[in-house]
Amino acid sequence: MSDIILSLEKATKLYSGVPAIEDVDFELRRGEIHALVGENGAGKSTLTKVMAGVVTLTSGAMKIDGAEASPGTPLEARNLGVAMVFQENSLVPTMTVAQNLFLGQERFYNRLRGINIAAQQFLQSLNFDVPPTAIVGSLGAAKKQMVEIARAVLHNAKMIIFDEPTAALTPEERKYFFDLVRDLKHRGVSIVFISHALEEALILADRITVLRDGKKIVTDDASKFDRARIVQAMVGRDLSHTLYGVKKTTVRPAGERVLTIQNLKMAPMVKNNSLSIFAGQITGVFGLVGAGRTETFKIVAGIMKRDFFYGGDVILRDKPVRYRVPAPAVKAGVAYVTEDRKIEGFFETATIARNIYLGLLAKFPGGRALLSQRDQSASSADWVKRLNVRAIGDAAKVIELSGGNQQKVVIAKSLVQEPDLIIFDEPTRGVDVGAIVEIHELINRLADAGKAVVVISSYLPEILGLSDRILVSRQGKVVEEFSALEATEEKIMYAAIH
Amino acid sequence: MKRFRITQQEIVFVVFAALFVFCSLFLKGFLTSANILALLQNVSVLGILGLAMAIVVIGGGIDISLIAALAVPPGLVLQMVQDGHSLSSSIVVAFAIAIAFGLVNGWLIAYAEVPSLFATLASGIFLAGLGQAFLFRVEVVQWSDGMAGFDRLGQASVFGVPMPIILLAATCLAVAFLLRRTRWGAYIYAVGDNRAAARVTGIPTRPIIVLQYVLAAVIGCFAGLVLAASVNSMPTRIFNSTLIYDVILVVVLGGIGLSGGRGGVVNVILGTLLIGTMLNGMTIMNLSYAAQNLVKGVVLLAAVIADTFINPRNEETAQQGDI
Repeated sequence: MSDIILSLEKATKLYSGVPAIEDVDFELRRGEIHALVGENGAGKSTLTKVMAGVVTLTSGAMKIDGAEASPGTPLEARNLGVAMVFQENSLVPTMTVAQNLFLGQERFYNRLRGINIAAQQFLQSLNFDVPPTAIVGSLGAAKKQMVEIARAVLHNAKMIIFDEPTAALTPEERKYFFDLVRDLKHRGVSIVFISHALEEALILADRITVLRDGKKIVTDDASKFDRARIVQAMVGRDLSHTLYGVKKTTVRPAGERVLTIQNLKMAPMVKNNSLSIFAGQITGVFGLVGAGRTETFKIVAGIMKRDFFYGGDVILRDKPVRYRVPAPAVKAGVAYVTEDRKIEGFFETATIARNIYLGLLAKFPGGRALLSQRDQSASSADWVKRLNVRAIGDAAKVIELSGGNQQKVVIAKSLVQEPDLIIFDEPTRGVDVGAIVEIHELINRLADAGKAVVVISSYLPEILGLSDRILVSRQGKVVEEFSALEATEEKIMYAAIH
Repeated sequence: MKRFRITQQEIVFVVFAALFVFCSLFLKGFLTSANILALLQNVSVLGILGLAMAIVVIGGGIDISLIAALAVPPGLVLQMVQDGHSLSSSIVVAFAIAIAFGLVNGWLIAYAEVPSLFATLASGIFLAGLGQAFLFRVEVVQWSDGMAGFDRLGQASVFGVPMPIILLAATCLAVAFLLRRTRWGAYIYAVGDNRAAARVTGIPTRPIIVLQYVLAAVIGCFAGLVLAASVNSMPTRIFNSTLIYDVILVVVLGGIGLSGGRGGVVNVILGTLLIGTMLNGMTIMNLSYAAQNLVKGVVLLAAVIADTFINPRNEETAQQGDI
């Protein structure tokens, strides 16, 4: 029995060749509360998934209680004493609390009364105020979390991992959760938790590890951290040798006001959001997960609907609009380039040419009933050349292309519609470096040509490198605005976290 | 990927060719022009229904109510003519009912967002029940003198080719033109391929879905008229038969992926030919109805399994976002 309950050495996990975590060393002591912090995509989730057996390491070693371990499934991890409480919780909503607690441990014959009594005693021993016969689906977020925790303890977990445990909780519930976690600590259970709220990490944790771009930056006692030091560690990149190395020295002036959003609401993601977008410049929108950026702009593009009552206003060129489907928004010159191209970006069985032509048809049907082979080849040849899509020919199917080329096709499909307001949501996610440069050049050219361009990104260097004007979103609304000249990574991150 | 898809059509074609050669060699009386024409005539209604189903399946749905659209409006034509209405006005009423039926189906699926399987299952039962309860007085609606001349639609022949085959060919051309050459055809493929992407692109996805079901109902009604003209009556109990499974068999066997966005008229033709040859061969071999169903069941199962292997649904693409 050593003091270290779990350790990782040079842990690396590659997703299709791209490292999500790289050479991470990590140690978890018995009975400590350990916070993991970092930007979106810093590798926190992957790191915890490795511990919980959801994914396996590409290289490196993991030791649990001093013995080499590589759990391949969450069940194996659970048998090793590692439990994970996921963001979307993993309870069966139609079953009772007691049934959920004993799920997977049923005997051949189950006496409902028996498990209810056992559950009641167990929940009481933990001091949890949850009735064992309640249906899980009818419980609030905090109670569901209690059931998850109770299940983890019931399985004799030596360590419990929480992914964003307080995101769905009210302030009182949050306080109660803190007490629970401290209680678990006194029982000798180790806790790892991911949090975007730095205060939480500072108050609750014994030690804090900061990750950035898949690498561990620092691990230290929480008492030796303050907000400034964590933010510094989260953002302190040396970019001088990368494509983001050049700091902006000039910004484009704001042109005509194209879009105004006032008090936009969509429960629970968008709360009283207000902002303006101007022509002829790039507006970067930064925020952490759950900041409501994507949702806000999807409402503008008619993909999502704002709240029916007191939903606020969207004003496009002095005209209040409320699009119920994207088609009229497209006709009005709004283009939304999705963050998830496989789900709502391209047509996988169709060719490059057909993908682009469908975009053209949707905007300019022009009373045309018949397809024109000539229009199709002309528009696609034009855009394949302009965006430098590399494929054997425009008859290639989009699904066969690389991520960067797929993204270019999705962009071409929108640009062929000649929009005035173009919203890029994570335009370079899952895209190779060469294509990133080309896509950034394209975005810059669009702004130079007088279009209103919005770039939603979770990657600070991308925001800083592209934007003329930066909006920072937090918990459903824009909370701060910077000119690109005055913005720094620290300032933006300060505004984005809470 | 690409090689695979060619192989799929080839498989169907090779199986059909092999079956055809086998029947020609070993079954007496198979390879005669009379038998081949009979074979085609027997499956022409099935082929027309297959085209209707193909439109819906390519658009990412399924239409179980096709047989109701086949039985009820044409049955009504026969009934109305029996009751002394003119043939042309009866046909207009029948198509109006078919269009209304397609609109209801489409509205249920596109706007009320009921899964297509349940929506069309329920609406089909409703329409069949409506017909049997209020519109027809007997289960087999009989031919009457007012229908004179209409039977040519099912029984005449042009240069020795029976009319149903010609009508099947004409419907094939019309549907192929719609799917390959028109804007709405391109939209149907786009919606079937990726409905979310079609929506974001600005394609009116819901009207396109409604269009699919209206087209299916209208083509189904047309198939019913051809059927009625061929047999000089409308056996409305056909709704209770296994015909709808044969239609699905034609579409899936032909290689139109149930995941949507794939395939075309060629696949329906291949599927129809394969089924026609199979049924004709089995009839010549004097297999019982039960044994024929057994064979059809096995073939459909094999086709559906092959479909999931060759056109995998993309569920694995969902996970990627949070690292």
